[in-house]
Amino acid sequence: MISLEKSDINLGFIPLTDSAPLIIAKELGFFEQWGLKVSLRKQNSWATLRDKLHAGIIDAAQMLAPMPIASSLGLGTPVTEVITPMVLSLNGNAITFSEQLYLEILAQNKLSSITFPMAAYLLQSVVKNRLELGKDKLKFANVFPYSCHNYQLRDWLKSAGLSDNDVDLVIVPPVNMVGFLESGEIDGFCVGGPWNAKAVRSGIGITALTSYDIWQDSPEKVLGLLGAFYQKHPNTVLAICAALKQACAWLEDVPNRFEAARIMSHAEYLDANLDVIAPSLLGSCLTHRDMAPRSVPTYNQFSAFNKEAVNQPELVRGEWLIKQMQEAGQLINCEIPPRFISRVFRPDIYQQMQMLLANTNQNKLIRKAQ
Amino acid sequence: MAIHSKLDVDELNILLIDEDSARVAEIASALDKSRYKIQHLITSGVSLLKEVDAIQPDIIVIDVESPNRDILESLHTISSYNPKPIVMFSSQEDTEMINLSVESGVSAYVVGDTDPSRVKPILDAAVARFKQYQQLKNELDDTKNQLESREIIDRAKRLLMQKKSMNEDEAFHSMRKAAMDNGQKMEDVAKTVISFLNNSHSKSLL
Repeated sequence: MISLEKSDINLGFIPLTDSAPLIIAKELGFFEQWGLKVSLRKQNSWATLRDKLHAGIIDAAQMLAPMPIASSLGLGTPVTEVITPMVLSLNGNAITFSEQLYLEILAQNKLSSITFPMAAYLLQSVVKNRLELGKDKLKFANVFPYSCHNYQLRDWLKSAGLSDNDVDLVIVPPVNMVGFLESGEIDGFCVGGPWNAKAVRSGIGITALTSYDIWQDSPEKVLGLLGAFYQKHPNTVLAICAALKQACAWLEDVPNRFEAARIMSHAEYLDANLDVIAPSLLGSCLTHRDMAPRSVPTYNQFSAFNKEAVNQPELVRGEWLIKQMQEAGQLINCEIPPRFISRVFRPDIYQQMQMLLANTNQNKLIRKAQ
Repeated sequence: MAIHSKLDVDELNILLIDEDSARVAEIASALDKSRYKIQHLITSGVSLLKEVDAIQPDIIVIDVESPNRDILESLHTISSYNPKPIVMFSSQEDTEMINLSVESGVSAYVVGDTDPSRVKPILDAAVARFKQYQQLKNELDDTKNQLESREIIDRAKRLLMQKKSMNEDEAFHSMRKAAMDNGQKMEDVAKTVISFLNNSHSKSLL
C-alpha cells in the first residue's frame, strides 16, 4: 500500500456507457482498497466538466481523449496544463441516422437494404439530390468540438469525398440527441452509448456503423487531471489509476459486463434501461428495429489480456489525435510547443502504476471481487 | 470601435438560455427598466448557433449546469465568430471557484447566485471585464503583429545581404524604394523578397 497525499477525491463523469470503469471501480470497492474515498460527480456538459477540473472543484475526470490536449493548448479555455496518465476505453461511438434519412438513402441509391457497416458514398447521391432541389443540407450532430466523435464523423464523410461544406456539422449534448433525431432537427449523429441503442429501440433510427468501423481501437475516453494536481499528489494519482486499471481488467470478462450494465442503469449513474446499456457492452450493435443486431466484439473495450497497450497513454496516440485536430482546422494559428505531447500523455505515470499493481499483491483481491 | 461604444451606452441584448422559467422571470424583472433587454429565451435546440448569429446578442447568459454549454462551446471554433461575454449562473455554492479559472481569459464569468438585486451589477461587471479583456487582447495582437513584421523585414534584409551582397543600408533602402514605388507595405515587399530569394535561381529582383 502507498501513502496517499489526499484520500477524498471528486471524480467527474458524464453518464455514458463507457463511464463503466469509474462506476465499477467505485461500486466494486477498487477505490476503497487503495484507501480512496471517491465521490463520483455526474456532469451535464463537457465544457462544465472541464471548467470544474481547471478550477479544482473536481480532482480528476473521465474526459474525451482530445480534451487534455485542447486544455493544454488553451483551445476554448485559458491555457491549463491537463495531463492524462491512463486511457479508460477504446471505441464506443456509433453513427445513427433518422428513419427518414435511411429511406432517402435507399431511394436515392435504388436499394432495398443497406449492408453494415454502411459506406459513406451512399450519402453522395442524397447530398447531390438535396442540393439540386434546393433543400436543406443534411445536418449531423456530434458531442463536442474536441471529441473523437467529431473527427470520426469527418473522417468517415471524407472517405466519400464529403466535408463540412456538403453537410452541416453541429454540436448537440448527448441527452438531446435522440429527441432531436426524432423531431427532425438533425438527420444523424455520432455519439457514444447508450444513445445509439436508445434511438434504435425507440424505432426512430438506424445505426449505420460504429466508431470501430472507422478507426480500429483508438482511445476514446481518458483520465484527465491537472498537472499541478499530480505534482502535489503523485501517490494519490497512482492509486486512482491502479483502481481504474483493476476495474478495466474486471470489465474484460464479458459476463461481468452484463453485471456492469445493471449497476450503471441506476438513477445516480446512467438512469437508463438495461436493454439500451447492455448490448454494446456485450459486443452487440443494435442496428434497426426490424433488423438483427450486428456483432462488434470490441464495441466497448476497456482492457485486453493480450494487449497491454489498451490503457497506456502512448505518445503516438496523442500525436495522432493532434493530427485529427489539425485536419479539422482547429489548430490554425496555434503553435504546438516542442515535446508538447509528452507533457500531456504520460505513459511514465502509467508504468509506475503498473509496477505498483504488480508489487502490491492485488491479484487476490481482484479474484475475490469477482 | 462601434462595438465598444455600444457596450458603454446603448441598449444591450441578452440571449438568456435557461430551462428554469421561475429564474427567467426573476432575471427579467430584475432587469426591467435597465439598459439590458432580454431578447430571446431559448431552452434548447440545434438552432441555437443560428439564433446567436441572427440575434447578435451583446451578452449570453446561461446556467453553468445546462447541457447546452457544449453547443456554445462550438462558438470558439467558428473563426468568423465575434466573441461575446458569456455570463454563467449557478445555484451551486462551489462554482464560485470556477470564476477564478475563467476570469483570467475567455469571455465567461460564473456567479454564485441569481439574487435579483445582484443581477444588474454582475452583468455590468461582465461587460466591463470583457471589454477590458478584448482591448488587452487586441493590444497583444497588435504588438505580436508588429514584432512579426519586423522579423520578416529583418529576414529579407539578411537574405539580400547574403545573396545580393548588399550591405545592410542598401538592403533596407532597396526594399523601402520598392515599397514606395509599388505602394506596398514594407512587410509585403519583405515577404516577396523572401519567397523569391528562397525559391528561385533568378538573379533579377530589385
